[in-house]
Amino acid sequence: MSKPTADWERVGDRFYRKTQLYTSVFDPDLELENYVVTGAPYSGAVALYRDEGKIYAYRGTQAAKFTIDIHSCAGKLIRQISWDKGRIKALGWSDDERLLVVTDDGTVRSYADLQGDFTPFSLGHGAEQHGVQGCKFWSTGFVALLGDNSIVAVTRYDEPRPQLLASAPAGEVMSWTVIPPEHTSSRSVEVLLAIGKTVYVIDAAECEDRGLEAGPFRHISVSPNGKFIALYTEDSKVWVISSDFQDRLSEYESKVKTPPKDLQWCGNNAVVLAWEDELHLIGPNGAASKFYYDSFMHLLPDIDGIRVLTGDTCDFLQKVPDPTEEVFRLGSTSPASVLLDALQQLEKKSPKADDDIQLIKANLDEAIDVCVSAAGQEYSIHWQKQLLKAASFGKSVLDLYNSDDFVHMTEALRVLNAVRFYEVGLPLSHDQYIRLTPERLMQRLVNRKEYLLALKVSEYLHLPVDRIYVHWARQKVRSSSTDEDGICREIIRKLDGKRGISFEEIARAAFDEGRGKLATELLEHEPRAGKQVPLLLSVGEESIALDKAIESGDTDLVFYVLLNLKKKIPLSSFFRTINTRPVATAIVESSAIDQDRELLKDLYYQDDRRIDGSNLLLSEALAAPDMTAATDKLKMAAKLLRDSKEFAPQVAALEDAQKLLRFQEVFEKDLTERFVGLSVNETMSKLIKMGNMKRAQKVQTEFKVPDKTYWWVRLRALVSRRDWRELEELSKGRKSPIGWEPFYNEILGAGNTKIASLYIPKCTTLTVGERIEMWVKCGMVTKAGEEALKAKDRGALEELRKQASGNAQLDIDRMIAQLQKGR
Amino acid sequence: MATRQASQAINTQDITDKSRRDLLLLLEAVSLNSRHGPVTTFIDMLQVRGKKNLVIERSLASIIGLFVKFSTLQEYGVDKLFVLENHNVDSSQRNIVFLVRGENAKIVRTVAEQIRLVRSESKIDHDFTVIWVPRRTLVSNLILEEHGVLGEANITDLALQFVPLEPDVLSLELEDCFSDLILRRDPTPIFAAARALMLLQKQYGLFPRILGKGDNAKKLADLLQRMRSEEDVNASSDPTNTYLTSFGLTPSASIENLIIIDREVDFPTALATQLTYEGLLDEVFGVSHNQTEVDSSILGGAPAPQPQSHTGGPTAPAAAATKRKVQLDSSDELYPEIRDANFATIGPLLNRTAKRLQTDQQNIHKADQSISDLKSFVSKLPSYQAESASLKTHTSLAEEITKFTHSAPFRRTLEIEQNLLIGSEGSTTHEQLEELLARSTPLPTVLRLLCLESTLGNGLRPRDFEHFKRLLLQAYGYQHLSTLARLEKMGLFVAREANRGYLNPISGSAGQTATDWNAVRARLHLWIDEVEEAEPRDIAYVFSGYAPLSVRLVQAVLQKGYLLDLVNPPRAGAAGAAAVGTGANGSGWKGFEDVLARIKGATVDVVQKGRDAEASQARKTLRGNKEGPKTSLVFFLGGVTFAEIAALRLVGRQLEAAGGGRKLIIGTTGVISGGRAVDVAIEKGVFGA
Repeated sequence: MSKPTADWERVGDRFYRKTQLYTSVFDPDLELENYVVTGAPYSGAVALYRDEGKIYAYRGTQAAKFTIDIHSCAGKLIRQISWDKGRIKALGWSDDERLLVVTDDGTVRSYADLQGDFTPFSLGHGAEQHGVQGCKFWSTGFVALLGDNSIVAVTRYDEPRPQLLASAPAGEVMSWTVIPPEHTSSRSVEVLLAIGKTVYVIDAAECEDRGLEAGPFRHISVSPNGKFIALYTEDSKVWVISSDFQDRLSEYESKVKTPPKDLQWCGNNAVVLAWEDELHLIGPNGAASKFYYDSFMHLLPDIDGIRVLTGDTCDFLQKVPDPTEEVFRLGSTSPASVLLDALQQLEKKSPKADDDIQLIKANLDEAIDVCVSAAGQEYSIHWQKQLLKAASFGKSVLDLYNSDDFVHMTEALRVLNAVRFYEVGLPLSHDQYIRLTPERLMQRLVNRKEYLLALKVSEYLHLPVDRIYVHWARQKVRSSSTDEDGICREIIRKLDGKRGISFEEIARAAFDEGRGKLATELLEHEPRAGKQVPLLLSVGEESIALDKAIESGDTDLVFYVLLNLKKKIPLSSFFRTINTRPVATAIVESSAIDQDRELLKDLYYQDDRRIDGSNLLLSEALAAPDMTAATDKLKMAAKLLRDSKEFAPQVAALEDAQKLLRFQEVFEKDLTERFVGLSVNETMSKLIKMGNMKRAQKVQTEFKVPDKTYWWVRLRALVSRRDWRELEELSKGRKSPIGWEPFYNEILGAGNTKIASLYIPKCTTLTVGERIEMWVKCGMVTKAGEEALKAKDRGALEELRKQASGNAQLDIDRMIAQLQKGR
Repeated sequence: MATRQASQAINTQDITDKSRRDLLLLLEAVSLNSRHGPVTTFIDMLQVRGKKNLVIERSLASIIGLFVKFSTLQEYGVDKLFVLENHNVDSSQRNIVFLVRGENAKIVRTVAEQIRLVRSESKIDHDFTVIWVPRRTLVSNLILEEHGVLGEANITDLALQFVPLEPDVLSLELEDCFSDLILRRDPTPIFAAARALMLLQKQYGLFPRILGKGDNAKKLADLLQRMRSEEDVNASSDPTNTYLTSFGLTPSASIENLIIIDREVDFPTALATQLTYEGLLDEVFGVSHNQTEVDSSILGGAPAPQPQSHTGGPTAPAAAATKRKVQLDSSDELYPEIRDANFATIGPLLNRTAKRLQTDQQNIHKADQSISDLKSFVSKLPSYQAESASLKTHTSLAEEITKFTHSAPFRRTLEIEQNLLIGSEGSTTHEQLEELLARSTPLPTVLRLLCLESTLGNGLRPRDFEHFKRLLLQAYGYQHLSTLARLEKMGLFVAREANRGYLNPISGSAGQTATDWNAVRARLHLWIDEVEEAEPRDIAYVFSGYAPLSVRLVQAVLQKGYLLDLVNPPRAGAAGAAAVGTGANGSGWKGFEDVLARIKGATVDVVQKGRDAEASQARKTLRGNKEGPKTSLVFFLGGVTFAEIAALRLVGRQLEAAGGGRKLIIGTTGVISGGRAVDVAIEKGVFGA
């Protein structure tokens, strides 16, 4: 076993290591220099397409067919996408391994899940006229530079909305790059354009000149954490500056005449400068180291290092992680290093093992921790084992140690080693694995159709497995050539009893393949009604869709189906469909009230809902501009109900309404006052207030207003008119249907005690006490006294005496005396 | 271990915070022109670049005001605020943000039209953002597409569901929920309620038991069950979900049960005149979203410290000069003490506070004070000032309400109402009603009484029914044919049918169509003669005698012992106490099945078990204590009145006093009152208008 330090390289005071991940990656005939190569983040897939700008050997017509090839890092061809669309200007990946292809004319195709199916969208903003110069991608979006130096940003792929950023100055763009939104202070993407001698920073709102003088800059690159920028100056120097352009951190002169092909970051602390087969690794403070390759190479930067891809090998270049350095550095005396030595001594059955342990006894847990994390950084299984064994040995010596990290690391390593296997070709580093998350790793495995591995790993890590099954089933639906029933049976058999399976996704795959019947069948197994509906609509099963929507309780869905349905089928069958479903009817009704009354009329007519129909006409009558129109509508409303006896009261009311309008029109003409809009009672009241008793009475008889009501209306109207004469007249009446008390109360309320008092003697149903009270309220204590005297109520008289004054007091005294005398 | 108190079972503050955070993040995202994935951190940037105009639906504006201040919105780059309904969006800012409800097709259409309008009239290239509340709907997509603006706007949603009106009241604040459910039979509010309750379940675990009464309550319970099974699939097909959520829901450790009360089961309570202070504020001035608007002349001399910063919701700027907004919530010093009191006792309560404040004031004037006394007083000064300001406000309000309650019409209606609620039959009631009609008493008042009689008697006798209809049309106009038709459809004012009613109360038969009020009144003791308004012992104090059925139903679950004692007074004092203790355990409707069978609507009783028995067991062990969860959530489907809230708070206090840390939380689709209930039906059009 080779020493782990064999491929270390010292750059300044740091070590860097180049790990060979895979060999014999590509077909030896493949001329990598003629291809544009981009890799997905987190050691994902690699996309290749032939650079049309380069000449290459003619190999017959077959090779002239243009394709985009997606390989794993180990070179395994995952998918070939044939291309006939136009000139590809840029190819890029998102975090979730979505491949984006941007052409000259601003068309973007987005291929999800490493599949051949894509969703297209267009950049717009003049991309057709000016053409796309190039694109820069980050984890969730990209920015395109157009021919007129305008910049278009796309920040999400599920619903792409290309947006124009602030306009950049004219001039040739020497090089450019983006700072992803998550690393900028404004939280929106910033674009760095090297034009002329300087660099411009552009975001959505503004374009700012950073005022550099050392340009033109051939290359510009931003570190993965967005904190630093590397620039390649005209005088062939590499500058590393902070991303706010405030500090220059280091400088390096390559002393090579030919300008480099590429400048990329290797992690966050080193920059790689690449020529065709030469590579300079520049660490902090301008220290550098050179690497040479036999053939042309491509750089695939990642978050914690950089992958170097040649036709033959795939290498990973990274800073030696701290724990690894601590354990393996030559001459290291760190506890972890000693612990590893102890293990080796133990394996040799040497007593020195114990000496070692005694030496580091005090720092043993730290040593174990370091060994565990160093194991995670190792690609070689041998060294992983050695380090874990060392940790395990250390653990055995300690009384108390929390083994959680150890256990997690063994689990993670098992997974990592499995996916690093060349057939799978996902050479994730431990850091990348943590950042990617196990869930998204599963997604990547599934995308590579490694279903069995994905299942095993998921079970091992206790992850949900439903996505894997669904993906498998979709694949099955797409590619299987057996008959539909067979496919359905097989899928159901495999997926039966599994929790959380989304049959809708499988059904959608079936539908996209044109297997409508299979889709419907699969949908039956979908538990979420909401998800069934849109697909059922696409398949053309509207009424099933409607039922499912109602079942889901989601009225939005119901409404959505109804809107679709209404467009599709004739109105009469639409009504037939909804009238057996009350919820659907309710929704149609409440939406139609706002916007489509005709529809509502038809609906009521069709369903024979006469009252509703007539009320609709009534509301139209209310909105009618003039009285003839209103009367017409009322007539129609009454006509609707006339056939049936049960609606007789309504019909009568509607006819009365017309009659009232007629009366009111006459009154308006005769009295030049507004009457329309008043109710029967109000009309009478107004007439009385105007002194038209006769007309008021006519209204009463015409509309059969009960006497009680009429008396109330008259009383209140007279009081409000302060027609005391008439009220005095009324007090001479003999009988009142509402009694006389209201007269007293209303008139007293209006403040006329004299008239009010006229009614007190008529209130014969009240008690003496109440009547006394009434007199007192009118200020007529003497009268009250008489009332009390009549009832021979001495107590009341005494009470009254206290309230009385002047003459009244004398009167009361007299009455009391009278009462005493009488006894 | 036991630090997690049951009182924190549902942390309503969390909900407020989350809503605020979500909204601000969305607003911020607009200025960023990007929405990066799942935003996990609360970004502490206050200075964001893009200014934007915010267009907001009127009903949402005051809801938003419940949890975020306008000044905060301004910090997040909101420049101007427009109300959607005003159609006056201007183009002064490049960014225009719409914040509207996506479930209403009419609103969606308005948004689409306004986007089109601004786009055609303005010279600059605008960025539109539409934030749908509470979710993006298919229909909204469809409508925007039809108007050709779907591609023009950034579309996101804000999952604004429960809004805590108070720490113990969660409301969906759906203004139209009563008319949707009762008049139009549109189940949208049920779905909204189910989603909101699902969210609670996701956070706090499954409600171990769901109880409910009413057909809509049944629908809601069914929907909850259904959503639970759908949740399994959703959780796993959502790529942003971590594997933790996919373990499935386990029964909650903090919530004991959910009690759903369908408004349709208990119309009379909603129709009756509320007699608590808060209830009367609602009756007289109207309270919405914890605010009421009164004539500034009423508040008169009272200074204007009331609309302080906390009222500074988005609607605050330039309220009409003559109207003033008064904030009614627990941020006030005085209000929480008096809100739930019967109005009869408000005078003494205010008086007591006034006296206390006076003594405080006298204390300052005392000459011989040490510095430390002075210091402690000065530290109390702000709250003292706030309290005296609040006292002034509430005294003025109470005075105004007194004018109302002392008026003859009010006393007349109250008398009729109480007679109806007691259940006394009699022709005098009808005569009094006729008089009210003849005297052209405001229509809502008359309708409330008529509906009350109808709902309590399962309709009026057909002859009376037609008679009153005729009187009503003559008194208020024939346009009210529509009003009557709507009331009939709602089941509020109907003719009694011969074949309906209390003839056949087959025990346990679901879907009973009518309530046997006489039986229920006796069995649940809906009328209490001796109400001690000042020191209420029974919930009947909120209506000065009538105990709301809805709350009695809740008591039938939570205070079985108390209720049983009330109906059959215990002979020995000790037996009763024991019953209260045992009555509270999770036995559902037990003991009251026969009454429930006499109340219309389905009865719900569902026990929810976790899929994973082990996990729930583990949870129980982790919780440490052996006793079960203690919080009950009472959910009103179709709206709750302030009087019911007050009554439930009394129940809650009694539960808490009984020990064991039991707690009650109220959820609702909105706050309703009798006036608003009948207003839904009233035809607003007039002939020749």
